[in-house]
Amino acid sequence: MEFGSVLNALILGLSIASIWLIAALGLTIIYGAAGVINMAHGALIMLGAYSAYMLQHYVGVPYLLCIPASFVIVAVVGLILERGLIQYLYNRPLDTLLATYGVALVLVQGVRLIFGSDPKYLAVPEIFSSSFMIGSVSISTFRVIVLAVTALLVFGIWVLFYKTRFGVQVRAVMQNKEMAASFGINASRVYMLTFALGAGLAGVAGSLFGVLNIVLPTMGDSYVVQAFLMVVVGGGSLAGTIIASFASGELQSMFAFFTNDTFARFLIFVLIVVFLRFKPQGLFAKAGVRR
Amino acid sequence: MGNLYYNKTAQWIAYAAFFAALAIIPMRIDDDFLLNQLATYGVYGLLALSISLCWGFGGILNLGQGIAFGLGAYGMAMTMQMQSQTVENPIPPIMLNNGLDYLPYLWWPFQNTASGLIFALGIPTLFCAVFGRIMFKARVSGAFFAIMTLAMLSAFYTIILDQQAYTGGVNGITPPSPLRLGSFEIDPYSSVGYWVVFFALLIATVVAKLITQSSFGLVTQAIRDDAERVRFLGYSVSGYETVIYSISGFIAAIAGCLWVMLVQYVSPAQLDVGFSISMVIWAAIGGRMSLIGSIIGAFVIQGGQSYLGDAFLSTWLLFLGGFFILVVRFLPNGLASLVEAGLGLIATKSKTATSHEPNGAKPFPAE
Amino acid sequence: MEFSRRKLLKTSLAASAAIGMPHLWIPGSSEAWGATLKKGEPLKVGVLFSLTGALAVPEEDSTLVLQYAFDEINKAGGVGGVPVEPIIVDAKSDFSVYSEKTKELMLREKVIALFACYTSASRKAILPTVMQRDHLLYYPTCYEGAECTQNAICTGPLANQHSKDLIPYMVENFGKKVFFVGSNYVWPKESNKNAKIWLEKAGGELLGEEYIPLGSSEFGPVLNKIRDAKPNFIFSTVVGASDIAFHKQFKQEGFKVDQMPIASLTTGEIETRAMGPEFGAGHFLSAPYFQSLDNPTNQKFVEGFLKSKYGKNGVTHYNMEETYLSAYVFKAGFEKAAAAVGFENVTPRAIRDHSAGVRIGDDISPEGEVWIDENNFNTWLKPKIGQCQGDGTFKVVKSADAQVAPDPFSIYPDLGVCTKDGLKAPDGKIRKSVI
Repeated sequence: MEFGSVLNALILGLSIASIWLIAALGLTIIYGAAGVINMAHGALIMLGAYSAYMLQHYVGVPYLLCIPASFVIVAVVGLILERGLIQYLYNRPLDTLLATYGVALVLVQGVRLIFGSDPKYLAVPEIFSSSFMIGSVSISTFRVIVLAVTALLVFGIWVLFYKTRFGVQVRAVMQNKEMAASFGINASRVYMLTFALGAGLAGVAGSLFGVLNIVLPTMGDSYVVQAFLMVVVGGGSLAGTIIASFASGELQSMFAFFTNDTFARFLIFVLIVVFLRFKPQGLFAKAGVRR
Repeated sequence: MGNLYYNKTAQWIAYAAFFAALAIIPMRIDDDFLLNQLATYGVYGLLALSISLCWGFGGILNLGQGIAFGLGAYGMAMTMQMQSQTVENPIPPIMLNNGLDYLPYLWWPFQNTASGLIFALGIPTLFCAVFGRIMFKARVSGAFFAIMTLAMLSAFYTIILDQQAYTGGVNGITPPSPLRLGSFEIDPYSSVGYWVVFFALLIATVVAKLITQSSFGLVTQAIRDDAERVRFLGYSVSGYETVIYSISGFIAAIAGCLWVMLVQYVSPAQLDVGFSISMVIWAAIGGRMSLIGSIIGAFVIQGGQSYLGDAFLSTWLLFLGGFFILVVRFLPNGLASLVEAGLGLIATKSKTATSHEPNGAKPFPAE
Repeated sequence: MEFSRRKLLKTSLAASAAIGMPHLWIPGSSEAWGATLKKGEPLKVGVLFSLTGALAVPEEDSTLVLQYAFDEINKAGGVGGVPVEPIIVDAKSDFSVYSEKTKELMLREKVIALFACYTSASRKAILPTVMQRDHLLYYPTCYEGAECTQNAICTGPLANQHSKDLIPYMVENFGKKVFFVGSNYVWPKESNKNAKIWLEKAGGELLGEEYIPLGSSEFGPVLNKIRDAKPNFIFSTVVGASDIAFHKQFKQEGFKVDQMPIASLTTGEIETRAMGPEFGAGHFLSAPYFQSLDNPTNQKFVEGFLKSKYGKNGVTHYNMEETYLSAYVFKAGFEKAAAAVGFENVTPRAIRDHSAGVRIGDDISPEGEVWIDENNFNTWLKPKIGQCQGDGTFKVVKSADAQVAPDPFSIYPDLGVCTKDGLKAPDGKIRKSVI
């Protein structure tokens, strides 16, 4: 075993972590702020990819502009979803889980009816489908872009939550909805906006995954369980999700390096169950908060 | 007289009527396919019942019921596969095709039909008991527990897929002939298969009903409503949760065995996330707080899938999803709550007509 | 207990000499099917593929091409003088629905034959039912073999036909060192066992073998292993959406197609279109059929199909062509059976038995002449190697000189040879319905 191969695996782990993290970001925000387990998250990721496809294919928008556009489109879908359904279910967490599963069914089948079940294709600039070398390590340009977008989003969320008035309101509502409301914060509006934000983040993830993978109505399914586990292990906080994604991404890459991909996955699942046995509230759960 | 919905005698009469209707079917209908199909729905009914018991009465949302179902199904498939191996030909083809020229230890218990069945039912139940114990002891509950079952389900799915030499991988196990008990062969297309499922469903339902009416059942329902309060009263919450979760797993394992008996086939698809969630959908639409409601939910949804699904093809899932959203949004206790409301309406009407009893506190739902 | 079970088994085996599977409720083989044909009534056949769900991508095309084939057959006078009526059912990508619908088609609709399944898992799900009723399944795609039933006819290439030419061709043109990548399930593993045999004969060297979970889209770890191993080419049996992710990430990770091409058994016209031709160009595929095959029959097939109301997806590929052939294999087999036993007495099993050696000439078969093996009821065909071009079509770079024999047990000679009555073990015993 050479040092270069291990280094390659470590760098790859970072990339896998960024993919899992970007898939889990929207979920974290929605779960962290509103306590909603959003089973439609995978479908929203899928919608992001289809938005990018639609804009590129029918309007001719360049790929890089499709990414923010997907954010806006899916955020609007999330907004409608929250106003039309989720807002009535906030005090019934298990029911939101089920209702959003119904939403996922409708979204996936709706997209299939409109676009057909054959896979779609997102064209990207030639430079994105290449790689470059640093020493003996080969790095794919697109993986760097995913990492960069993820970092940018994390930074953006951090600024939004910790440096703006809106962020203060969100955190206040997270800690105690009634108390926040009594200080004049419109909790319903805060929930609505965080849900839209979370959905929009799923849209960004989708527009990136469409390039890495494939654009299909069912494409979100493979990310959603993984994303959930990241959120649960992280305890619903942003920092928790980041660390959980980083650790599992690296572990997945190293396990796959020493064994094989399937077994690596199994190990991760088992490790997560064992971890939650000892820390059932996740990595950074706020003490005393019960949902 | 209050709402008939909460009247125990009325409930038992409803159950009797339901099973009487199911019992008449094979006498009236001479259609092998329909019998086999209804028997399969009966298996789904068992699954919905197990979800109702665990989620509706125990408050434990389980998105991984496919584990118990799948393990039971694999156990049964292995038993049936070993029945068709002979002395000259002792090793199932899946192993030979994967380069194993001996029977792995994993398969040993299934060489004998009786011990095979015991393992097929015992292992899933044991798994639920151990996993439940670990999770509930750590006070994992609610949505967290649901996600954990999902993770566990994915882990099982992955490992069964990977261990192809022992499990047949994605192709699963296809026992070439029907189940034999002693010298009797249970033909899945005859009324025998139907009756086996019928009695399993009948017994499971009666036992489940008795459990919910017992003091044990009342404590689990109290835990569902407020676990903390029950804990302060000195009950072992995790103990009660583990037991109800294991009973539910045991019923799902029976369903798994019967399912393989009917279709002679098992694959990792039985541990697919979507299938486990559809079990929850059956119970949710039928009414998770009502055992019989959940069973009927399974019959209705699966029947709709088979018949409406063909008529509407690609729009069926759209309907199902939309219907499901509406039920969760407006009828959180499923279609059974319509019956409850309907009977309640009659009760109030007759009340205002006959007497002027004060409308007391709503009785605690025994159903 | 042990003794009585064995005794029971022996009696059942004896009984099964007359009929497919021993059952208390089957008095004779014609009742197994439970219907008789009437001259003048259309022939009902079941068409069972997924039109919704994850498997809809390949299987919708199978349904469409079968409808096209039966229309064509009906226009030309039908089968045995009567039109064919395909009963189309959606299997919803759910294996339990495959099983349920098979029963419905056989028991209620009383179809005479079933055209069904793309994945092996779904085939395994329905075969017990098909065998019990002594019915007939046309399985129209490539698969791993290792089955010997009396109730199935397969028109796709087996693992032993697929890689026979591909491996020597790649070794000759690119070098001896190869890396195997596949999806983690039965067919890739079986195909790789065959490929190893050809590899050894060609003097190649296997550097590594990796399997990816089905549906996985993360190829980073595998590509890193390949990068370390430095093979001359990659032999791929990755399927479905993963295959597209694999080709995309291959290029994104900086692999060069001219230095290390992927030789695949699956990446056909649909896949290259879905990934974008720039990711597919230069790689190789072994298949009996390509849309670009240059012969009059294929031109007629491609033009006719794409212009018809079934050609909405705008492509023909090997899986569709194999499915198309199965309709004609059915026609030929049925007519042979009808000539032998009389139209009214044709049963699914009679069609199967009379399909032995049925030939589809190059006036009908777009891939060139094929015929059904008289023993194992798979298809003799010419595997071809195509290289993907910049526009997503394939250019045939090598075609087998003669039809290659199908051998479902080629890698398990110890288990025996598949004959028309069952698997004949080396000791001479015959076992029926081996799946």
